[in-house]
Amino acid sequence: MHSPFHPDYNPMIRRMQSVFTLTDDERQALQSLPMQVQVIKADQDIVREGDRPSRSCLLLSGFACTYKVTAQGKRQIVSFNIPGDIPDLQSLHLKVLDNSIGTISTCRVGFITHEALWDLCTRYPRITAAFWRETLIDASIFREWVLNVGRREGVSRMAHVLCELMVRLRAVGLVENHACDLPITQGEFADALGFTTVHVNRVLQQMRTEGLIELSGERLNVPDWEKLKQLGEFDPTYLHLETDQAAA
Amino acid sequence: MTLTFQPIRVATGFDEEGMMVLDAEQRLVAVLVRLSDRNEVAPGQWNLEAGFGPVNGVTPPTFADLDAARDWIGQRLARGW
Repeated sequence: MHSPFHPDYNPMIRRMQSVFTLTDDERQALQSLPMQVQVIKADQDIVREGDRPSRSCLLLSGFACTYKVTAQGKRQIVSFNIPGDIPDLQSLHLKVLDNSIGTISTCRVGFITHEALWDLCTRYPRITAAFWRETLIDASIFREWVLNVGRREGVSRMAHVLCELMVRLRAVGLVENHACDLPITQGEFADALGFTTVHVNRVLQQMRTEGLIELSGERLNVPDWEKLKQLGEFDPTYLHLETDQAAA
Repeated sequence: MTLTFQPIRVATGFDEEGMMVLDAEQRLVAVLVRLSDRNEVAPGQWNLEAGFGPVNGVTPPTFADLDAARDWIGQRLARGW
């Protein structure tokens, strides 16, 4: 397995490995999947609502988000996307995109044609099942976010989303101890949590003062993981991760 | 629309001074807070902490001064729901 910093690192393979052991054939098929890799700057759209894409995007590095916008232009981020995610995998079956996906930081994105994905799915039923499972987990994450944004209060709401990010990043090898890169701005947290930016700032300041989190630049450290989990009422069951490391 | 301000201290946890905003019939329509200088997003700006009726909203702006806040709240009330 390549480290996350190796150019050949494929987070999709790592993700599948956490669910079932790939045969050599399956691994080979995933490794040789034709992919057009593109570097996209921060704050750019990768795809837009209404698009009819002929390919899906695998996030190889960087942070992105799935979002929708009201008629008045107010944005709701409905999930954060991290390396290994294929945030528009549903476009393989649903022809018109009903959301946009934008970068948060600079991203390396691998575009895979639907044709290549169909071919892969036809030949490898276990990979098809794994993709299906991924879209079911996406739906589970959206359900949890509705609960979080609709019903949890300030610090608890923020704590929950930070716990989710830590656990998902850990599952793709991007957490060291309890620290990870976190390039998400306070404005982006506001759009994700349904807060004003002012409120996000107060919540983060409160969490820093209480020693729940340490933020330096774009690095997040969680000194007391159990306490953060407790505050965020965080139970990782909805992420349906199979690896032991995810439970940490 | 005649709006009046009444100073009030608001327990945001950051030692911030606030203003109650009342309409011509002395009904509370909004609570503003002058953000502390420690606020990293909009230090010293006036933030709409709470709004009632047409002033209620999920993404209220911050204001450079009370006149700007008065204008915005006045427009919201004039527009209605």
